[in-house]
Amino acid sequence: MIMERRVVITGSSAITPIGHGKDQIVKSLLSGVSGIKPLRPEEFLSRFIHSKVYGTVDYPVEYDFKRNYRKTMGPVAYYACQVAKEVLAQSGLTEEFITSGRLGVAFGSIHGSPTVQRNIYRIFFGATDKSAVKEIGAVDYLKSMVHTTAVNITKMFGITGRVIASGTACTTSSQSIGYGYESVKFGMQDAMLCGGADEYDTITVAVFDNLLACSTAFNNEPHKTPRPFDKDRDGLVVGEGAGAVMLEEYEFARKRGANILGEVIGFACNNNGGDMILPNLTGITNTLKLGVENARINPQEVDLISAHATATKMGDIIEAQAINAVFGDNPHVIGLKSYTGHTMAACGAIETIMTLYMMQEGFIAPTLNLEEIDERCTMIKHVQKTLQQPVKTAAIQNFAFGGVNTILIIRKFS
Amino acid sequence: MTRQEIEREVKTVFQREFEIENPEMDADLRETYEFDSIDAIELLLAIETFLGTEISQEEKKQAINIRTINQICDYIEKIAIKRNLFSPA
Repeated sequence: MIMERRVVITGSSAITPIGHGKDQIVKSLLSGVSGIKPLRPEEFLSRFIHSKVYGTVDYPVEYDFKRNYRKTMGPVAYYACQVAKEVLAQSGLTEEFITSGRLGVAFGSIHGSPTVQRNIYRIFFGATDKSAVKEIGAVDYLKSMVHTTAVNITKMFGITGRVIASGTACTTSSQSIGYGYESVKFGMQDAMLCGGADEYDTITVAVFDNLLACSTAFNNEPHKTPRPFDKDRDGLVVGEGAGAVMLEEYEFARKRGANILGEVIGFACNNNGGDMILPNLTGITNTLKLGVENARINPQEVDLISAHATATKMGDIIEAQAINAVFGDNPHVIGLKSYTGHTMAACGAIETIMTLYMMQEGFIAPTLNLEEIDERCTMIKHVQKTLQQPVKTAAIQNFAFGGVNTILIIRKFS
Repeated sequence: MTRQEIEREVKTVFQREFEIENPEMDADLRETYEFDSIDAIELLLAIETFLGTEISQEEKKQAINIRTINQICDYIEKIAIKRNLFSPA
């Protein structure tokens, strides 16, 4: 018989374009603050990118990492280690447990640190003789490798359990939470520190811009985009940030008197098995069904869905159709990227954390900029103004390039 | 270049690159200051800059067992002598 254990959330933290930590984020959600700002000019790409908006962390984040840790960290690892540090502190787990091997880390970013990689390219293209080799730092790989966030966290806190470093673009951190959940559920670890991070990066904007997937019509009014499910939506807005949660086996958390913030009750991940970019109704619908089955609930029990909702033309329509096919028009549906932009590897964790906050505080934040619902997206229950009401069960949906789809289902702890 | 200059430069590098102020000359760097293999590679690059000469792969491998500031200074002195950069006074 397969062991299945309850998995609860005992810590959460996020650095987002609308604030750092629960108080600021909840305040921004309640007051409709957008974190979308003008794209910052840099030496090359920004001039040629059509989209001039970015989900920006434009406030200072205070770090006090010792040099011994800083030396292997690019900006993405600073974000990751900061939220990890805050989650570890909030969880109240002892150093003895953290270093015991019973705690693992599931954390990722879409491609390590682009800032560090960009510097390597600069050396590469400017190289005139062999001395250029010496300009590449001994630690540049450690700062830029795809699992840099996960292992800088393990190093900083002496974590000796398993490491899962998913790097599946927009499903990176929803996979982190999902695979962390499975690790605890099936008894492989007693706790998992899970999340994702991505730093400010114009290369990602250029990629989506070239795919004609970025928003360009609101360059002079950044706060009016992205517009998930809205008739006038014109694409996604890339963003930066980080989110982390502590998942823990319920009995262990209960016995040590941990403050339980919520419960993860289901997760599913599948692939469309075909096109790497186009959204796939069959694939996504199957994901949602698998998630509901995994959580062993009736679809009608889900009362809030945080949709992936990047505000691309087809993506939002396909997602609305999939939600309707599985959940009908019962659950409220919101697109949280309207506040933050698409925070890439961090989006699954950030959106899970925001959903958890709404669950804890008893409100549902509306989808920003949803002024006139696209007639092809009207079959689901959109939220256009703040609702003060309890949320018991919520689903967080994320989809990535490569045809990867995930759903996480969380529940208010009782 | 004198031994005194070498010691002064090594201390400067430790302060600038590794944020280690006035390291003890015979302390085990790993145990006392958490100096690790990554730092050792950075240090070798700093030594090359200081000496204004390239250190061969073979010479770098000889640095593998270095544990203290004094041993670092010995190592630099040895290379400086070989390159006619050292003056004993």
